[in-house]
Amino acid sequence: MDSFFARYRNLLVLLAVVLAQIIGLAVQVRRTDSGRNTLGPQDPTGVRLIRLWADAVVTPPEQIFHATGMGLSGLWQNYIDLRHVREQNQELQKTIDRLRLEQASLLEDARQGERLQALLDFQQKYIYKTVIAQAIGSSGNDSSRVFYLDKGSADGLDRDMAVITPDGIVGKVREVFPHSAQVLAINDQTSGAGVILETTRTRGILRGDAAGHPQIIGILADQRIQPGEKVLTAGGDLVFPRGLPVGEVVRVQPDPDRDSFIDVIVKPAAHLDRLEEVLVITSTEPHFSAEQQQDLTTSEVLKGAEAATFKEQRNASQIMAERLPGLNDPNAPVPTPASTPTSGKTLPGQNQNASPAPAPKLLRPLHPDRFTPGAGPQPPQDKGSSTPAPPGGNP
Amino acid sequence: MRVLGEYYRRDLGIRSYPLLVYALATLSALVLQAWLPHFLHGHTWFDLPLVVTIYFALARRDPIQGTIMGAGMGIFEDALTNHAVGVSGIAKSVAGFLSGSVGGRIDVDNFIVRMLITFLLSLLCGAIYVLIYRVLLGMDQEWRGLQELMKALGSSAITIVLFPLLDWTQHRD
Repeated sequence: MDSFFARYRNLLVLLAVVLAQIIGLAVQVRRTDSGRNTLGPQDPTGVRLIRLWADAVVTPPEQIFHATGMGLSGLWQNYIDLRHVREQNQELQKTIDRLRLEQASLLEDARQGERLQALLDFQQKYIYKTVIAQAIGSSGNDSSRVFYLDKGSADGLDRDMAVITPDGIVGKVREVFPHSAQVLAINDQTSGAGVILETTRTRGILRGDAAGHPQIIGILADQRIQPGEKVLTAGGDLVFPRGLPVGEVVRVQPDPDRDSFIDVIVKPAAHLDRLEEVLVITSTEPHFSAEQQQDLTTSEVLKGAEAATFKEQRNASQIMAERLPGLNDPNAPVPTPASTPTSGKTLPGQNQNASPAPAPKLLRPLHPDRFTPGAGPQPPQDKGSSTPAPPGGNP
Repeated sequence: MRVLGEYYRRDLGIRSYPLLVYALATLSALVLQAWLPHFLHGHTWFDLPLVVTIYFALARRDPIQGTIMGAGMGIFEDALTNHAVGVSGIAKSVAGFLSGSVGGRIDVDNFIVRMLITFLLSLLCGAIYVLIYRVLLGMDQEWRGLQELMKALGSSAITIVLFPLLDWTQHRD
């Protein structure tokens, strides 16, 4: 027996190591309702621990490398390559002044849009709370499109937060460590983002293929979808806010697995292979900085002053209307309730207990004659009474 | 008698290295593998952990050491991805085992032999990786031949610089 173990010691060690890893793989894989095997949404505790250790080993050197590179780059840019800096500074100052004015205007528009969205019960907002982070490393594997950020849970990052750049969306936070985070890019095969085509309003799910090209899968064939059409986030995946740029359509190809379905290949708007700084959306609640808040207050004050001016103008117009002659004839007879077609009926909304308008009282004349209203010839009271015969009448 | 001959040849060629060299070489390989692709537009045209695993397994001519080192390197690499932990571990365990086994039978000082071994084992690792995903896990994983070929060539090219550098750090009597 000893000779068996001694002779096959190497092979037995290999089998034991491989078997242990196969058992570890079996713990991680789950079967979905559709019968497909997939990795669980969250790693088991042991696997997460391994990922945490690996991150703890790799991230500090990466941060040092990154900081060193940035330092050297900054040394060159700040102390050596300083030609024409004063002129550029003046130009930039002018640009900042102009942008501040534009910003105040845009903020007011954003505020108005926010109110409208609240009315429609949308959760997305135009202004988000973001954290700037640096991309410091990758997975080191071609088939795994993930990268690492230098910010983690200590900086407010959490799982499933959207990662974007000013150009477009990048991915979502997959795993968070104390001082770093792992981001799953939108061109990974396991990613998924709800998107919508800008013109045709066709919705679909964006994910990467084996070569790392993002594509919209599972949409019905549509002749209207043409290369160049913009792709935006649809906002239904609870990760990306609605309306963020994703990219544009490069080409449309038939789905190899399903008839009458197509795959839309998308060129991402963000430079996924050259990421440096990214923004992590940590909250979709409205967030205004102190300067923005000050701008908004100024806008509110200006709007209040404008409203007061409008009110004064309206009061003045009312006074003028009272002084000018009206179109109503003061001598026109007052309509009595009996003469109106709606007499005896109550209009909807009219108060039934409301007393009618008081009729003007007629003063009794001191010497009434036959022309006095109500003093005309009276009808005969009885047949025996004599009535004056009309002149020229028959006897 | 044959076995004795093999052990005799092994004892003649076994190399040893300072512990610091082991630590620095493995750590540098893992960190650079994660850091360098960030500057290569996401392309991974080499597998530094595999190269280091092959080197030490060949130099030490010990399949057990190669197996364990390959497993550790692979698990570490898997932990940095969003894939299952253990797939690269199995692939590199096999590569380390084969390197250690081959190291006792051939001349490992020849740089062409080293390059050829690295090239073949890199392709083998890629094939095992896809095979585990498709057969063992039942998940989709596309075989990208050109990419694997480029990675194998890149890893082989690295051996031209890295192996002499590591040779220089070995204990000398």
